[in-house]
Amino acid sequence: MTVTETTTSIRTEERQSFLGRVFGSPLTRLLGRRILVAVPLLLAISILVFALLEAIPGDPARNQAGMDATEEEVEAVRRQMGLDRPAVERYLTWLVGFVTGDLGRSSVSGQSVSSLLATRVPVTVELVVLAFIVSLAIAIPVALLAARKPGGVFDRIVMVISMTLLAVPNYVMALLLVLVFAVVLRALPAIGYVPIEDGLLMNLRSVTLPVLALAVPLACFYARFLRGDLVEQLNSADYVETARAKGVSPWNVLWRHAFRNSSFGLLTLVGLNVGGLVGGTVIIEQIFAMPGLGVLMLQGVMSRDTAVVQICVFIFAAVAVLANLVVDVMYAVLDPRVRYGAR
Amino acid sequence: MALADATIGVALAPVEGIPRSARWAKVRRRLVVGIPAGFVFLLLFLCFVGPLILPLPSPIGGNVLDSGLPPGSPGHPLGTDVNGNDVLSRLLYGGRASLLVAIAVNIIGLVVGGAVGAISGFLGGMADTIIMRGLDVLIAFPSLVLTIAIAQILGPSLPNTILALSAFSIPAVARIARSATIRVVNMPFIQAAELSGSTTSRTLLRHIAPNIIPQLLNFALLGMGIVIVTEGALSFLGMGIPAPAPSWGNMIFEGQQSLSATPLLVLWPSLALLVTVLSFNMLGENLRDEMSGR
Repeated sequence: MTVTETTTSIRTEERQSFLGRVFGSPLTRLLGRRILVAVPLLLAISILVFALLEAIPGDPARNQAGMDATEEEVEAVRRQMGLDRPAVERYLTWLVGFVTGDLGRSSVSGQSVSSLLATRVPVTVELVVLAFIVSLAIAIPVALLAARKPGGVFDRIVMVISMTLLAVPNYVMALLLVLVFAVVLRALPAIGYVPIEDGLLMNLRSVTLPVLALAVPLACFYARFLRGDLVEQLNSADYVETARAKGVSPWNVLWRHAFRNSSFGLLTLVGLNVGGLVGGTVIIEQIFAMPGLGVLMLQGVMSRDTAVVQICVFIFAAVAVLANLVVDVMYAVLDPRVRYGAR
Repeated sequence: MALADATIGVALAPVEGIPRSARWAKVRRRLVVGIPAGFVFLLLFLCFVGPLILPLPSPIGGNVLDSGLPPGSPGHPLGTDVNGNDVLSRLLYGGRASLLVAIAVNIIGLVVGGAVGAISGFLGGMADTIIMRGLDVLIAFPSLVLTIAIAQILGPSLPNTILALSAFSIPAVARIARSATIRVVNMPFIQAAELSGSTTSRTLLRHIAPNIIPQLLNFALLGMGIVIVTEGALSFLGMGIPAPAPSWGNMIFEGQQSLSATPLLVLWPSLALLVTVLSFNMLGENLRDEMSGR
């Protein structure tokens, strides 16, 4: 055996073990397994959407043709919309189109669904992202301050206020915000969306109220959760005891030690909420006349615009699935116990 | 845990010897459940019995000439809305609709979801996998879309609102029921029951059900608030309880159209919604803490 041969064989072994590490790693397997589960789930959801829209009574072709259209005209519209074909065939046509990147056209406006999405998605994304930022920016400091002295005055005030605000539905919150900031104070616009191209300040002014309506209940939820978790950590965890014993200041125990641990739970909650929040924008977009995905979907359901509803529901469901996946992966990346754990 | 300690303390110490703090803790523990429970009963009484005994005008068919009367007008303590209907009357009848929907949806969720979840958890294996994957689809489905689509299919009415909202109370309860069932299914008394020849349905009804029902009832209590809020959203979007029949959701929606002129028309039903949801949430949460012994 020559020296060269030995090096080559070592190299191969190394390469194999590298590939093996990538494909055999628990993280990759986790990703693979979750994606395998997500595909049939999303497929089942799309079938359900199709079936639900099929079951809504009324004739879309007649609606499209207009009230005083003749029977022939309605038939022509029906053929043009492809509604003369059987439902299964129409679903499969949509599915093939979807997989190959052709999202179809809105049966109501005739616009291509992808161009509709291009204008609608950014609005909803802006609302949701800002709502999460605002809610965490409120919840984290409030929870830390409350947990510093559990049972203290600040803690009690926070708990009572958050419990009350949690019971306020977001549509009521939206109307109250409009009443205070738009009707009484006249400080912010009540409805309407200003695109970023028309100036960042105007844009932010137009989304302030809807973002607050979404963020306030979330902030209460997170603050309550985080405060509870922090207090539990401070009362029972051994590492807190250790940190205190070695003379770490109370604030640092809270911030550097307890919060770092509690942030895992918070992260999970945020991930679980993403799906719900994206769905929750529907009614907020409706109240504030935001041209987002939620309103698009709502109008789609009302007018049985299958192609539009399909893609909206797909996005909502996929975002929820993806968010949960990201949470799990981040867990694994951040916490070695999960990465090498049994499941 | 704390409850057990307190009870032992009470049992051991002579009555006058109980420390004041322990006695207060006991009273407090009763109050945190008692007060929200009292509110819930008060609300139920006001909405279901109130209209029968109070001299209220009809919630619908008001005279347009009486529209927009301010609160405190003769015969209309909270005034009238744009259609001249008495606001207090609409509030109580609307609450009746909201509570009726919430109770019905939770009962359907408990019975159907509880059965599905318990059977799924009890059988395990392939059946469990199939049932749970089916529920995953319903849970991942945006709930408002599902309810709106069902409301569209069935048409807006009170029973159809109940059916539409059940579409997401069922999978939620089923999940809880399943995990609760799995927790008890391997316990010795279940094995003992099976060994002594108990049939599957008998085991489920006699042995598993009593063990998971408290947890499910508690979950349903927390679900009351969610259902009331979602019913409001559905009615708010015009797809729940159809006007002119009142519900808190459609009252808020009607009031929204004249928000700047008569904000009170939005505030009354909002306040009713808030108090109701808060009462149910507090009752549910405090009862859960009590049950888990915290």
